[in-house]
Amino acid sequence: MNTTLRIRRFNPEQKTPAPFFQEYNLELEASDSVLDGLIKVRETLDDSLALRCSCRGAICGSCGMRINGHAALACKTKIISATKDSQTIHVEPMNNMPVIKDLITDMSPFWEKIRQIQPWLQPSTPIPEAEHVAPAEAMNHLSGVMTCIMCGVCVSDCTVLEVDSKFVGPAALAKAYRFVADPRDDATTRRLTALNEPGGMWDCTRCMECIQVCPKGVGPMDRIMSLRAKGIDEQLPSTTGSRHAEVFTDIIKNKGILDEPMLAVRTFGFRNVRRLIGMIPIAIQSFRHKKIAPSGPLHRAIPGIDQIKRLFKRASVENHTFRNK
Amino acid sequence: MKYAFFPGCVSKGACPELYQSVMQVYPKIGIDLEEMTTAACTGAGVLQEKDPRLGDVINARTFALAEQQNLPIMTICSTCQGVMSQANHRMTTDGEYLAEINQILGEEGLAYRGTTNIRHFIWILLEDVGEDVLRRAITQPLTGLRAAPFYGCYLQRPTEALQFDQHPDRPKALERVIEILGAEVVDFPGKSRCCGFPILTINEKNSLNMVATHTMNAKSHGADIMVTPCPLCHLNLDGMQAKAGNQQNTAIDLPILHLPQLLGLAMDMDPKSLGFNRNFVSPHSTLQKLATVVSS
Amino acid sequence: MTTVHTYDVLVIGAGLAGMRSAIAAHEHGATVAVLTKVHPVRSHSNAAQGGINAALTDRGDKWEDHAFETVKGSDYLGDQDAVEILAQEAGNDIIALEHMGVIFNRNDEGRLGTRRFGGQKRARTFFVSDFTGQAMLHVLFEQILQANIPIYEEWFVTSIIKDDDGKCAGVVAFEIRTGRFALFKAKAVILAAGGLGRVYEPSTNALICTGDGMALAYRAGAPLMDMEMVQYHPTTLKGKGLLISEAARGEGAYLLNSDGERFMERYAPNMMELASRDVVSRAEQLEINEGRGVNGCVFLDCRHLGKAFINDRLRQINEEAKTFANIDLAEEPIPIRPGMHYQMGGIKTDVDGRCWDIQLHWKGVPGLFAAGETACVSLHGGNRLGANSLLDTVVFGRRAGKCAADYVKTVNAINVSEALVDIDHDLVTSILRRPSHEDTIAKIRLEMGQIMNRHLSVFREQEGMTNAQQVIHTLKHRWNTVGITDKGHVFNTGLVNTLELGFMLDCAETIIMGALTRKESRGAHFRTDYLDRNDDNWLKHILLYHSTNGAPDVDYLPVRITQWQPQPRVY
Repeated sequence: MNTTLRIRRFNPEQKTPAPFFQEYNLELEASDSVLDGLIKVRETLDDSLALRCSCRGAICGSCGMRINGHAALACKTKIISATKDSQTIHVEPMNNMPVIKDLITDMSPFWEKIRQIQPWLQPSTPIPEAEHVAPAEAMNHLSGVMTCIMCGVCVSDCTVLEVDSKFVGPAALAKAYRFVADPRDDATTRRLTALNEPGGMWDCTRCMECIQVCPKGVGPMDRIMSLRAKGIDEQLPSTTGSRHAEVFTDIIKNKGILDEPMLAVRTFGFRNVRRLIGMIPIAIQSFRHKKIAPSGPLHRAIPGIDQIKRLFKRASVENHTFRNK
Repeated sequence: MKYAFFPGCVSKGACPELYQSVMQVYPKIGIDLEEMTTAACTGAGVLQEKDPRLGDVINARTFALAEQQNLPIMTICSTCQGVMSQANHRMTTDGEYLAEINQILGEEGLAYRGTTNIRHFIWILLEDVGEDVLRRAITQPLTGLRAAPFYGCYLQRPTEALQFDQHPDRPKALERVIEILGAEVVDFPGKSRCCGFPILTINEKNSLNMVATHTMNAKSHGADIMVTPCPLCHLNLDGMQAKAGNQQNTAIDLPILHLPQLLGLAMDMDPKSLGFNRNFVSPHSTLQKLATVVSS
Repeated sequence: MTTVHTYDVLVIGAGLAGMRSAIAAHEHGATVAVLTKVHPVRSHSNAAQGGINAALTDRGDKWEDHAFETVKGSDYLGDQDAVEILAQEAGNDIIALEHMGVIFNRNDEGRLGTRRFGGQKRARTFFVSDFTGQAMLHVLFEQILQANIPIYEEWFVTSIIKDDDGKCAGVVAFEIRTGRFALFKAKAVILAAGGLGRVYEPSTNALICTGDGMALAYRAGAPLMDMEMVQYHPTTLKGKGLLISEAARGEGAYLLNSDGERFMERYAPNMMELASRDVVSRAEQLEINEGRGVNGCVFLDCRHLGKAFINDRLRQINEEAKTFANIDLAEEPIPIRPGMHYQMGGIKTDVDGRCWDIQLHWKGVPGLFAAGETACVSLHGGNRLGANSLLDTVVFGRRAGKCAADYVKTVNAINVSEALVDIDHDLVTSILRRPSHEDTIAKIRLEMGQIMNRHLSVFREQEGMTNAQQVIHTLKHRWNTVGITDKGHVFNTGLVNTLELGFMLDCAETIIMGALTRKESRGAHFRTDYLDRNDDNWLKHILLYHSTNGAPDVDYLPVRITQWQPQPRVY
């Protein structure tokens, strides 16, 4: 099928380097991948096009790039799906990292963050002579995270990194979870304590971009949520984030419905005078705009709350295993 | 067409204008609502941070209640919709898991058979009400109004749980409705990104930065207003816009409308009855622009 | 001013063999750096899906059984002393990997679980779902980070340098991101640069597998051994040749021809689908050649395994089948065919990775080491067993690293001229100066790949191979004049590909020379003009040395036999 690849190019060695778009028109099979298309451009139309690629089978993680606005592996993106809306496919380098040349980005900030979470097993000592005995289920669960190929696609499309380059980011957090959830690792508390700091696990905004774009089904945000749950379980020093989750849960348990003012006050803590004062202008504005339901600022419990309470109790006694599907 | 109406906490709390406007609008498009008064909050993804399975139990209860009513559920909040869709997806694609959930529900005499259809108001507009009926309800097309769509993450991702494959209109539902109402769609990069609300209490700076980025971006693309089907996005984009502007040393001043407010405008309803006075960023300029267009 | 870096041990390549050797050299006190043309986790070790073999003696397996099956699999061309080391040390290396953090699959008791692989009667393959290579590679990278071993990432080696005594003295390399050259002085260089799959088209191998290590060693004067032994994997996808792991057959999948017949019954009645790869690939090709295939393929059938089992044990493979062939293994048989997969031959080493002989029976380069697919110990001989390649990388990577660390204590500081950098720098400059014209590196590579796949594949004969030899000769001439459009220094991928093509052409030449020389059929080398194995004349290795005047110089080494005398090979 006739396809146009509209590629964002950048040559740092030009006199005044500036990105520009270049279009290549070529015949491709519907079953070809975008990477096949790019290789065909390089081999038959323009051998100066720079991109990273290697395995062609979505295992090496080299060919992360933005295709029609979303990060993806070029080798895993089919021409047929990329041309659903238009026969022109937009190809750009990944976001949230500097561009070196054409589709090649500088991944060193990515690796720096991976390094930051101390990505190696820290087993308890003494280490057994034979292998560690570990539940099969735990190892299978970890394999869902170990499939991460560090392609950077989740980092490219992370909404938090877009506004704050200091956020540790979805890939590093998923990697951290891989150790936190490893029964052989002995540094859980230390790891979670580090992630409890600003820029860590509580800074994720749960936008699900990473879940959507991850080519390997790792579900980085799900892993971040699991880290948060483990953080709460471990009774780490509370953060605004963990209190928010705790208070939210408590309100639903007791009322069935949310009380925004109560949530805010209890999340910041009654004694956090600075944050509470900070809320006053919003409170005044809300009042002025009559943003208060007829029933008043604080909700009464919904009818049937006793049932909710019983379900809370029953569901949380059961054994916890989070499903990713 | 009758629905079990799940209004969500925010439309009953901090965004009463959303509830108010949807109540005004729905009778005009031939649907009927029966409010689910005993249904609990979906957990909004927050409860799920602490205990994901507990969240599914609470939502399964809601779905079971709708099954008893023999009605599909209608939501008016992207977050409610997304959280419910995900819960439903987990349960309906894994029989073993559903059985596990039902064991907990069973002791309350409840069971979820996995048949409840849960849809956001905007999908119902396109999939059930249909373009024809909707067009007929429009008495005041919004000609000349430049509206930027803002979806809310939960109405865009993950696409599998939201069944985008089976419903090709869903990914661009908001653009479609804006067009039907006669307004002009302003496309901008942030329309399906995050509003920042979930981290407002955790990292206010980042949260407000997201508000500023998207509203300023929409404005620079020529938007008169922004419209959202998510009250949580509204809380941040509207409620925190002034503060976000201060952080950037600028006044942004982009009115943010709830989807039913925009519908109501196109149905020539009194802005006050749609709760426009409850929006922080005054839509006054928008109303004026529309009035000018109409009179000219 | 030339930039100079100095280390005791410099490792080229950051796949499993490279990183394992770097860790071992580091642990034995050497200063080590790793230099790699791609980021370590992009290495092709990723692609090993199925698992890693080991006979764990504490659970009733015998290392001798593993060794014998490896020797039999090699069609008796593997050196038995090396195979014995491999089988004996495998258990400890598996445990060491587990301790580093590899999440090996467990059985119900929480101990390491196994699956069955080809050419073996017992299940002794340890695995991580079906991405064992990736799971190991990422863990070794973690270990490199923890040990703080410097990584020169996206650096390209242009040559190995030697001092006046002929000892290896380091490498010349340039940073791909900037184009800047540097001299790396090292008392020991470990080549762990992987395979040469791209010499063939198609191939299961990644685009980076361009035989760099073999060509670098060969040009530096080290011999390549058994280069004719090129493995065709029985289950690759049509088109681009992506691999479907042997784990599928290990877990019970069938091979069917167009009549729906499990044809392996006729070729290997005992081992069926799990006979050695060379045997299965030949059987498939015969079925196809005799008209019992469909569009050049036979079928791999997993349907009877069931959806749940496939999801649990063959998840990635099924993902791959869905993405790249649009087939759900639980619902449909998938068309597959033999495809170029692995080079059993490589840089001749001893059992400690040395590319020279301390007893001086063969010539080599002191200070140069090799491990992994780049090397030829020889373990795999005429045919490698599935799940022995990962084992090869960790056992012989570790041994090479340790030996290199010991070796550097015995040699004095490196003394070489910094001007050596200029030779390679000038070569690159001249390549960049050539005008780009109609001929391209892509065309040359494709012609090379196709001719190799036509004449140096599952079935071979004199005339075809001679023809291929002439073609490669012409392509080498064309390579000398081909130009590229990009004249820049920053990430000039065209330049990198040009240099890689030069390496590949050298490799192609040695494969053909080895294959023309070996006048018998053994393992993967099956000649229709010499149908039988000939132990009287050819139970020996073929060594090829670089010569400046045309064809490689040929030499021979006897196969080292310890306890298993050659027998007819029946599966």
